[in-house]
Amino acid sequence: MRPQPSAGFPEVRIIGTAERKSAVISFTVDGIHPHDLGTVLDQQGVAIRTGHHCAMPVMDFFGLAGTARASMAFYNTERDVDQLIAGIEVAIRMLRS
Amino acid sequence: MNPADLSQLYRNTVMDHSRNPRNFRRIDSPQRFATGHNPLCGDKVTVSLNLTADGVITDAAFEGQGCAISVASASILTELIKNQRASEVVSLIRNVCATFVGDTQETPPGDMAALAGVRDYPSRIRCATLPWRTLQAALLSEAATATTE
Repeated sequence: MRPQPSAGFPEVRIIGTAERKSAVISFTVDGIHPHDLGTVLDQQGVAIRTGHHCAMPVMDFFGLAGTARASMAFYNTERDVDQLIAGIEVAIRMLRS
Repeated sequence: MNPADLSQLYRNTVMDHSRNPRNFRRIDSPQRFATGHNPLCGDKVTVSLNLTADGVITDAAFEGQGCAISVASASILTELIKNQRASEVVSLIRNVCATFVGDTQETPPGDMAALAGVRDYPSRIRCATLPWRTLQAALLSEAATATTE
């Protein structure tokens, strides 16, 4: 069961599509390991969590080594989300073959 | 730190080995092998070896999945140890790991020098050392599984 690409951002796949999904979003970027993505984002001031998040059975289910996970809370702004997206674009330019 | 500084971590040599890993294959019926696992990030690497009767490594290969740092490290490892004596490689493993986890500022040997930038990212050091710990397990037959934890 392979997660589908996000609309408008073909390299990014959102993991989990529950109808009333919370603002905790796991995702992968094709061709970039979550750890590398996390490091590139970290250097741009964006903190995410990477790896299997202590959820190895569900990683096996999705056939993934790990995911990136952005967790938004009440203090995050649209600007933070824009910064996350810009950071992912930098990682794609820097790390994708 | 700005994104430009990341070029010290993801140097051209590192990206070249990561995108085109050398010896990324399985050795049929290897004489030594071990699997390494980093339980924190899910990285897994299997190192397999063939040796002559007097202990010279004639073939080294790896398989697995990991980040750019761990794949590059494993790829460089297989190139560095081929045609080397196992006894010398045990010293090499010690030297490589010391340059990442010790206080020394000594440059890692061979193409591993390209990974020296990893030292500035403590959470990534285990990515660089996992293949070497796994090689150690394969050579010393300490266990079939190496782990960073």
